Amino acid sequence: MTKTKVEIPPVVKLNYSKGDLIIKEGDYGTSIYEVISGKVGIFVESGETEARVAILGPGMIVGEMAFIAGKTSTRSASARALEDCCLEAWHPAMLLNAYKKIPDVLRLIAGQALKLIVRMNKMVVKLRLKEGQSRDSQTQELSDQWEEKREFYREKVSLECIFRPVNSSKDLEFQGRIRNISKGGLQMTVKTSGLFNYTLTHGDELFISTYFLLNQKVNMTAKIAWLKKGKTDGFISLGLTFIHMDPDDRKKLGFFLMK
Amino acid sequence: MTVNSQVLDYIVSEENFSDKAVIIKEGNMGDWVYVILEGRVKIKKKTSGGLLTIDTLSEGDFVGEMAMLKWSNSTRTASAVADGPVVLGVLDSVRLGQEWEAQPTIIKKLISSLIQNLEEATKKTADMVVALR
Repeated sequence: MTKTKVEIPPVVKLNYSKGDLIIKEGDYGTSIYEVISGKVGIFVESGETEARVAILGPGMIVGEMAFIAGKTSTRSASARALEDCCLEAWHPAMLLNAYKKIPDVLRLIAGQALKLIVRMNKMVVKLRLKEGQSRDSQTQELSDQWEEKREFYREKVSLECIFRPVNSSKDLEFQGRIRNISKGGLQMTVKTSGLFNYTLTHGDELFISTYFLLNQKVNMTAKIAWLKKGKTDGFISLGLTFIHMDPDDRKKLGFFLMK
Repeated sequence: MTVNSQVLDYIVSEENFSDKAVIIKEGNMGDWVYVILEGRVKIKKKTSGGLLTIDTLSEGDFVGEMAMLKWSNSTRTASAVADGPVVLGVLDSVRLGQEWEAQPTIIKKLISSLIQNLEEATKKTADMVVALR
């Protein structure tokens, strides 16, 4: 055993009854707990909503996120006893020396995991919110709620798409590459040689289809808002505003844009 | 984000992947850990509604670290697919493994727990997205 100057408080065993709050989201604190018996639920709060993100059982650790994030961070989630349970509380000083000595690469990996968990948990809260609302009013579109928060948010992409002018024959088909996309519209680049002799002009309406995920086809109808020469010779760049999208496709776009 | 110089020191080889190339396949065994040197990598998870992109990682981020640091086994928890051309640095798995094993149990428990949380949070998110469709 190594000697340390700081006196480390002994490990204490704590008993909680079903429903007791063990850690409160937003509080300061870096104590770490190991579940000895019983089940602990991890919850992320958002306004009046609370989403359970994990259930932890014996042998599992509670509260390590704030420890890894450092002294100045607050608890990123709440922990509550789902049944009567016993936890062992470790003082952070117990771990601090050992944690300081770990190789940078492990610390960076832990940091990345932390960042991703926080991101996922935020997404779970958002989804839970949506779940509630779609139950309340079936007519409300899922994606509409993103619009408020993410107005004008554009996702940079590189998606192959096919398109044809709305009033053209169905045999006509051009290829383009979507460069960015938002709830309101998209920008794409098109190889001029691929258009043959067809001329696209401002105000033209196009049927566009692409795949967001491997098996997720999305159809959109959009109007050309602007067009200009592309950065690369032989390409043109088009700015389009959506004029129609089926609710299902709109929903897919909503999920695609959500990060 | 740039790649940390300490991490660069672990790189034993570089691998190039073209757009949409599968770097890691969910469910396969393996514990190679990569760091993204150039480009972006999409993390995809199998769901009942098909493959779902759950996150996009970029330069300096690690790929494949979960299987290595998991308490249970070395099954890949998600797929990693190149989003455009990608250059990955392969980390020295022997050195990383030895350093990991040399850590006190308490530290290993801590990091494994974190990784497990990430795995659960990811699964939960994917499930919810599918359920809402």
